[in-house]
Amino acid sequence: MARYLSIAILGLAAALSASIAPQFLEFAVSLLGNITPVLDNTRGQLSLVMLVALCWSIRADLADALIWAFVGGLMVDMLSILPLGATSAAFILIVFAVNGIARQLFRVRLLFLVVAAPIVTLFLTTYNLAALALLGNTYDIPSVLRLILIPSMIYNLLAVLPVYAIVRMIQRRLEGGLQIAPQRLTQWIEARYGE
Amino acid sequence: MRLLGRPGRFLLLILMLSLCGGLMALSLSGALTSVEGVAAAPLHGLSGLFTRISLSFNAAFEELNNLGRLRDRIAELEEQLARRQVELIQLREAARDYDRLVSLLSYTSALENQEFLTADVIAVEQTGISRSIIINRGTRDGIAVGMPVTSDLGLVGRIRSVSANASQVQLINDENSAVSSRLQTTRGHGSIIGQASGVLRLTMIDLDEEIIQGDLVITSGLGGNFPSDIVVGQVTSIRQFEFELFQEAEVRSLIDFDTLEFVLVITSFEPIDLGVF
Repeated sequence: MARYLSIAILGLAAALSASIAPQFLEFAVSLLGNITPVLDNTRGQLSLVMLVALCWSIRADLADALIWAFVGGLMVDMLSILPLGATSAAFILIVFAVNGIARQLFRVRLLFLVVAAPIVTLFLTTYNLAALALLGNTYDIPSVLRLILIPSMIYNLLAVLPVYAIVRMIQRRLEGGLQIAPQRLTQWIEARYGE
Repeated sequence: MRLLGRPGRFLLLILMLSLCGGLMALSLSGALTSVEGVAAAPLHGLSGLFTRISLSFNAAFEELNNLGRLRDRIAELEEQLARRQVELIQLREAARDYDRLVSLLSYTSALENQEFLTADVIAVEQTGISRSIIINRGTRDGIAVGMPVTSDLGLVGRIRSVSANASQVQLINDENSAVSSRLQTTRGHGSIIGQASGVLRLTMIDLDEEIIQGDLVITSGLGGNFPSDIVVGQVTSIRQFEFELFQEAEVRSLIDFDTLEFVLVITSFEPIDLGVF
């Protein structure tokens, strides 16, 4: 069920990332312009799909997490100039590492997420730069670091815990749904036919 | 799967990465173009819907936020309007003279004969590094790679890739975009290059060319990638060093690329391939 749900959730996240998120960030930065001059005139991005895949991989088993990473990457690639599968490969590497580490650090998952979000953003930006360079595009690295990477790290860091809360709620619903159904069925049988 | 051992985990990783590698190879070869178009259609639809909603909300909030600034701006614009009206009268006179000369020379401006197709902006680039947008027109509407994209305020970019019902537009402020341009007043040639900050830079201007602050920059048509005489932006500052071979100018586009809603694709213009010369 979770695997099929990934298409809808990640599709929604990709569409939000490509439409509402940039508008919202621009509006938020313009409102907080005096408090956050470091973010003024920057082009950071909120990677909702990456955050959803990351948060899902913390508690899911590896196979599920990899499928979410794969589907999420495809959704991002359909809205980017990178070839299909390029972002999936990056997400798969991220999720594989995060899933492995999260199993060891299960007591401090939230803290781990807060640390992981900026590191994963750094990896993803570097990966995207390398992929774009392989496709023949060149970019001014210091400007990319200053104008894109640092703001993106801040946005993803701020968003990771709310995203985790939503992902966790969905995971609980899915786990609960599987447990509750047989219990209800048992209660119904007991009420209908007695013990 | 929870019981996967270390070799099993790595095997799964290698399998998934191989799958991605295969997809990338097929995608780069163009074999998946039609499949990608069909698969991306719902995503494009959803993005388009969200973009419309967010733009309308953003505009409403921004108006409230900018009320004080707007008052000052209105006063400033009213003053400018008064000055422009005088200029307008002079320009109308000049336009009449121009029309007379054009009819004499049987000269037809290239832009007048262009055919345009309106498109909605439905998404922005996802990597964050490259500057591009996705529009809701594709090969079905006659869009082809290389077609110039404009708006009522000037040049937006050009079509980089096309699917059946959507196209990706490389914006002129992308770092890998270069547009042959000229200064409107002095007719000096240069090349508009995008910067990481999103501003435009007019480079390769001869040292003996005069650059006037506030001058309009328009496309020159050199190179055959864009029609001539499309507005690109306005010169905001000039950089000139004695030790450099060329001078540069910073150019501000009149378009706010972050809040673009509609664009016009010039469908009648065919980019010229100069590779044979």
